[in-house]
Amino acid sequence: MRGDEGVHSPMLSLGGLNKRYGALKAVDDLSLGIREGEILGLLGPNGAGKTTTILMVCGLLKPDSGTITLRGKPVDARDRRTLARIGYCPQSIVLWPKLTCLEQLEFIGRMYGVQPVIARRRCGELLETVGLVEKRDRLAATLSGGMQRRLNLIMGLVHDPELLLLDEPEAGLDPQSRILVRDYIRGWARERGRTVVLTTHNMDEADRMSNRVAIIDHGKLLLVDTPEALKREMGEGDVLEIDLLAATGATVEAGLAAVRGLVPQAALVGHTIVARAPNLISLLPRLTGNVLQAGLKVGEVRLRENSLEDVFISLTGRRLRE
Amino acid sequence: MVVSLIPLFLFMYWSFVGGGSTSYKVLALNEDRGECALLGSQRSCASEVIGALDSITYRTKDRLLHVREVTSRQAGEAILRENRAAAMVVFPEGFSQAASSGLQPATVTIVGDPNNPYYTVAAVTINATLDEFAWKAVGLERPVVAEERMLGGSGGRTEFETYTPGLLVAAVTLILFSVAISISREVEYGTIRRLVMTGASSTSFLGGITGVYTLVGLITVLLAYGVATALGFRSLGPIWVGILVSVLTSVASIGLGLVTACFSRTVARAAVIANFPLLLVLFFSNAMFPLPGARLFAVGQRVIHLQDVLPQTHAVVALNKVFSLGLGLREVTFEMAALVVLAFAYFMAGTWLFRRMHMRAN
Repeated sequence: MRGDEGVHSPMLSLGGLNKRYGALKAVDDLSLGIREGEILGLLGPNGAGKTTTILMVCGLLKPDSGTITLRGKPVDARDRRTLARIGYCPQSIVLWPKLTCLEQLEFIGRMYGVQPVIARRRCGELLETVGLVEKRDRLAATLSGGMQRRLNLIMGLVHDPELLLLDEPEAGLDPQSRILVRDYIRGWARERGRTVVLTTHNMDEADRMSNRVAIIDHGKLLLVDTPEALKREMGEGDVLEIDLLAATGATVEAGLAAVRGLVPQAALVGHTIVARAPNLISLLPRLTGNVLQAGLKVGEVRLRENSLEDVFISLTGRRLRE
Repeated sequence: MVVSLIPLFLFMYWSFVGGGSTSYKVLALNEDRGECALLGSQRSCASEVIGALDSITYRTKDRLLHVREVTSRQAGEAILRENRAAAMVVFPEGFSQAASSGLQPATVTIVGDPNNPYYTVAAVTINATLDEFAWKAVGLERPVVAEERMLGGSGGRTEFETYTPGLLVAAVTLILFSVAISISREVEYGTIRRLVMTGASSTSFLGGITGVYTLVGLITVLLAYGVATALGFRSLGPIWVGILVSVLTSVASIGLGLVTACFSRTVARAAVIANFPLLLVLFFSNAMFPLPGARLFAVGQRVIHLQDVLPQTHAVVALNKVFSLGLGLREVTFEMAALVVLAFAYFMAGTWLFRRMHMRAN
């Protein structure tokens, strides 16, 4: 695994974590250091072990082996002082349906030992920030799904934790709420110098929110680095995807060779020729022309920027959605 | 809903039984012909006995038996089979003649189902009345007179008063459903995880639930006694002792609810599993009917039975002592102590199990 060597005295440190559910190894020898004040995205497909890792960090799940330390001290699920430093937002909506928005926030604040006056002020600020201040006296059960998700998120922030763990924070959010939540988390972490670990299988979410991205698959950590560095790993510039229709082996090879004549970094992924190079748009007419001249029929042609999904494919040979 | 359930239940029961003493329905088949010369009556001896049966009353002047004449044995047995009467007394055609001649005993048949809990009282009363008639007929004084003396004021209790303590115990026990469901809801919704993350202990979480439901139990019991009193229920002993026993019973039932919740991850499952302790309590605590005790050991003069592990066993005894026998706090000390110990034991067991099954990282 590359990219984690430079983290000295990390705020959160995972060392050789293992967790098994029967025959399934959910987390496999996972070691990772998370820096103070950074937003780290755990990127991987469903079942990669992201949620299991998060649950172990917040003490809800016991690792089979390995260590978890927060500022050098082992995380003890029975130690209230340690737990008070961690905030957790689960993937599913976890609210008391018969409590109002304000009541839930104040209640969870009291449970964390936040003084009532401070809790009340902070709850008001949080409701304001996520656009729920007018719904403060509405029962959680009567809120829309998107509003419940926003409330679910700020439930983990009432006690102003040093470390915030977000499990798929944008799942189920409408585009407007997604932007709201994304901006809020980034602002909160930056202004308060807080550390955030989020899990996602959405490369766009990981790319936009994270300072660093850790790519996980089958419980193993594959790569950790900044999104930019990871994408650079795959080559600078753009990605061109040319979907082929009714192609035979010989003509595909000829078409691929024709593309490589202009863009050396080109490969066949399924029935798609994928080419990577800077400023591909200027080469687009010639590339498609070469493919057609090789006797191939072209379906869809897509030109986009290099993404984390490309990184994931190169590491695993699979797409994130597969 | 929990609070209003018991008063509503009491009102429904009162609507069925009314405020009077227990009355036993007896059928009479009178095939007797002739006059009862022994008593100098123009009516038959059977009619005289039937009249005597129908006029027996409690001290409260409420009738003990309601006698209804039937025209055939088949008709009477059909009514008995449907449990619409406790017993049937059959007077044969020659009853008056046999009773008057004194040459042969006059035979009367009592028909009934001993599985019917009312049959025994009805049959004993019919027998006693026939016996009284026989002594009166032969004109002799009884050589032996049995005097019946009721404990405390139990002889004057109405049916509503007799069954109200048992109903209260059974109804208070239902609180275990509410407790089990409310805790299981936290597990099902995942909110228990939020609480675990705050460092809340199982003792504080379950203690909070117990506190809330103890208050609910107290309000419920006070309301239930208020309604029962308004409907004619009288306690022969200090009613506050009865209320205290009821509240302790509700606390012990909360403990049973905690244990039930430990085995449930969903509300639906809790509602199903809670039936087990409920049935156990209702059938083995003597709340519904008496059971022979399964002896475990003895502490001094007191024998401890298997069903003594059920709080309701002690509640039934204590409430009967207070309400029907007019006894006070001193006489129910053992039962109260047992209720406190059991409530504590169930709470501790529930807390320990809940921590292991729902609040511990695994």
